[in-house]
Formats: sequence, structure tokens, C-alpha cells
Amino acid sequence: MSRSVWKGPFVDSYVLKKAEKSRESGRSEVIKIWSRRSTILPQFVGLTFGVYNGHKHIPVNVSEDMIGQKFGEYSPTRTYYGHAADKKAKRK
Amino acid sequence: MSDRICVGAIAGSYGVKGEVRLKSFCADPEAIADFDPLFSEDGTQRYSVTLTHVVKNGFSAKINGVSNKEQAEKLRGIRLFADRDQLPELPDDEFYHADLIGLTVLDTGGNVLGRVKNVQNYGAGDLLEIEGSVLENTVLLPFTKEIVPTVDLAGGRIIADPPEGIYPE
Repeated sequence: MSRSVWKGPFVDSYVLKKAEKSRESGRSEVIKIWSRRSTILPQFVGLTFGVYNGHKHIPVNVSEDMIGQKFGEYSPTRTYYGHAADKKAKRK
Repeated sequence: MSDRICVGAIAGSYGVKGEVRLKSFCADPEAIADFDPLFSEDGTQRYSVTLTHVVKNGFSAKINGVSNKEQAEKLRGIRLFADRDQLPELPDDEFYHADLIGLTVLDTGGNVLGRVKNVQNYGAGDLLEIEGSVLENTVLLPFTKEIVPTVDLAGGRIIADPPEGIYPE
């Protein structure tokens, strides 16, 4: 069963505080968080979070299409190295 | 920049007519058939591949000069390499993983930060995985214009301006 709408999205309060503080400072920094369960909110767009995967903090640059997902979805806990072959990386 | 890149591997024989089971490592798996010729790891053998069917975990394929099951079985485990020149040109700000891996990463002051070990994408943009002698673990650097302003493939280096918190204190 999905979460009741009246409750609103769940976000750990310290994530909100850290995000607000980072936005006010205006500095380019990675906000280290351990809360993989927190929902990505519209006010996080443009910020970079370091989401803990049990081993290290994975940088997650939040964009608009990520709103509503959980931070943990962008920080896998298992490593898989595939082959480079003809795969491409785009610099945004 | 390496001259040849690994694009697939032969997983064994398929059927009794000399076909092989082929694993493709390409972004579009069927693109492995576009590379002609393919080479063995040491470059001594040349292969021409024609895909026949899609099978579990790969393709069945015909390889020139292989006409029976015994010959096909002998090719099991061979990794297939293609010339780097066969890859199409990319627009600005797009790079092949194979070209980025191995580049030296420098900061804006010219200090060496490490070397690109791998390129990852977990859904929130491409990340350069950097390893260095002074680093205990690898570091992930977002591949953005702001953080990686210069990619000099000819010079074999990347200039990076990592934000606070990426590198350990």
C-alpha cells in the first residue's frame, strides 16, 4: 500500500536543515547525508548530496526529474564494474 | 588512449552447426556486429562476426572460418577487441568511457589528484571514479562542466575543481 497523501513526503529533518544551510551559504559543496529513506523535494534541485551507501558517500546532483524519489535509489550498495566498450559519458 | 577496446566475448559453442554464443559489452548489444574485423586480445587472430539469433544472455553468431561445433568450442573464453578508430565521432562534451579511463586528474593549481579508474552512472549523472596513491579509497567526481572544466584527451589529462567534501580532509 502506498503512503497516505495527507502525511506529505517523508524527509529526515536534518537533511532539510543541511540543505537549507548549504543553499544560504551559496558555496559549492557536497552535503553528506546518511538518510537514504528521505524523499527528494523540489527545494533540493541544484544541490549535490553525498548519499551514504554503507561504504562511502556517492555524489548525487539533484535534478527536477528526481523529485519524489528516495535518495537511496541513486546510491547503490553493491558495486558492478561492467566493460567500457563503446559506452559514452556526457558532461552536463 | 588504447588502440583497441574490448567489445565482447565468446561464451562457448551454440548448436551443432559451428555457431558460437556471443556476449556483447556494447551499450547497444547488437552494435557488436558493426565492428569488423574483431581481434583476439593479442591481436594475432581476426574474426568476422554475423549475428544469427538472440539467445539467453547474448547472441548466437557465425564466425568466418568456423564450420563445426568442435572449432566453435575451442573459441570459448576469447575476448573480442575492436579498433578504437571504428567508433564513430562524438559531439562536444561526449566522451567514450574507454578514452576517459586512465587520464590523469589535476586540480586547478596543477597538483595531481589521481587517475580515472572507471566511469559510473547510478542514475544521477556520470561519475568519474578516481584512484590515487594518497587516497585510501576511490573518490567519485561528478562529470559536469562546473567540476570538470577541461578534458584534454590528447594531453591525457583532466582539470578538475572538486567541491568541498568530495576529497577526504
